[in-house]
Amino acid sequence: MIKIITNYSKRLGLPGYSSHQFSISCETELTNVSDVAAESARLYETLQQSVDEQIQTTGFVPGSDYGNGNGHVEPINRLKTHAIKTNGNGEGWHCSDKQRGLIVKLIADHDLEDVAEEMSQEMFNSSVKDLNKLQASGLIERILEEHAGKRSNQRARNGSNRYSNGGTR
Amino acid sequence: MIALAEKPKEALAEDILSKVSASRLNCFHSCRLKFYFRYVLKLAKPATGALHVGKAVHWALQQWSKARWYGQPLDSESIKPDFDIHWQSSQEKDPVAWEIDEEQKQKDKAWGLVDMYLRDTPIPVEEKPEAVEVSVETGLPNGLPRLVGVIDLVRPEGVVVDFKTSASTPLIAQAIHRNETQLTAYGILHREATGRDASGFELHHLIKTKIPKLVVTHVGALTDQREQKFLRQVESYVDGVEREDFVPAPSLACGSCEFFHECSMWSGGPQ
Repeated sequence: MIKIITNYSKRLGLPGYSSHQFSISCETELTNVSDVAAESARLYETLQQSVDEQIQTTGFVPGSDYGNGNGHVEPINRLKTHAIKTNGNGEGWHCSDKQRGLIVKLIADHDLEDVAEEMSQEMFNSSVKDLNKLQASGLIERILEEHAGKRSNQRARNGSNRYSNGGTR
Repeated sequence: MIALAEKPKEALAEDILSKVSASRLNCFHSCRLKFYFRYVLKLAKPATGALHVGKAVHWALQQWSKARWYGQPLDSESIKPDFDIHWQSSQEKDPVAWEIDEEQKQKDKAWGLVDMYLRDTPIPVEEKPEAVEVSVETGLPNGLPRLVGVIDLVRPEGVVVDFKTSASTPLIAQAIHRNETQLTAYGILHREATGRDASGFELHHLIKTKIPKLVVTHVGALTDQREQKFLRQVESYVDGVEREDFVPAPSLACGSCEFFHECSMWSGGPQ
């Protein structure tokens, strides 16, 4: 038994920085290998024709006032929903789970409960638990620099050549 | 003829399509072959003097912002010794292809920019940042790659600042246009990290003229239109990378492209 798996996909641009895509997948079985070429050609033509017929229906296309409060705002909403959903872990903390884990570990490892809270108040006028992801990142960086061996050049004037790294772009 | 390594699509997908940044997007949309050399083949090139100057200035401003954040403000004089050390030590990791007698001139120029910025900056010394040189990332809709970026500085009330070093004074409209992709990415990332929109953006251009000067360009808050445009750029990026559509885009920028030689040898691959 010979199995042919085919897929035809087409993505077309639409006005307003949109695009839409449609694909059809098909799986068929042959008994004779000599039929592969002819069957592939037939499937290609059939799938292309089917996709072309369907993709002519564009559905909703954003107008010029799209996103100004008068139109449908689905893609942007999806982004914003994602932001809100991932910002907070439901246990009183507002940073990510990973950040929370690291802060808790650093505090425990270096006995920094009061210090971390003081730093947080000094840098953000907020409690550690109230820090968002951006703020938590800053607090972690400072704890690492000042208490966990990672020193920036500013704090390593006595001969060390190690520097804090802002990350890659 | 140069050999363009074949890279399995799965490896490409994992390497390139798992994350996207404003730099990658800008590189891809300015010249796909340059993107291919830099991000797919990862051809290593020595850093240019201009790049080293830019990084050193960024580093000094980062130290200055952090010090304000930690309640220990620094002035120009107290940053200078560390700047000198950093200038040298950072070249151990990323060697720079200096031309003869060029390094000291460039170092003086870099320090001149930092000194000027600390004197002319619109940021009050007592102002505490919301973030300094922070790495952020977020998911994008419709199965697009994760968006990553490093934001130079976030001022109070969520004003996102990006530092630029530039040889000439930018025109405001062009500066906004040229940096739109980057600022949109930062806006999306800021919202994900804080749960609220950035109230605006500032481009702080440190201009390398004989007498250094600062040009601050204010850009309004993110709009839905800019986000749509950005997502369309990411979609186009994904399409192009998936199809391995890495064709060159000859332009005036080729004169300063680090892959000029490789590009001139390109024969139409990869296929």
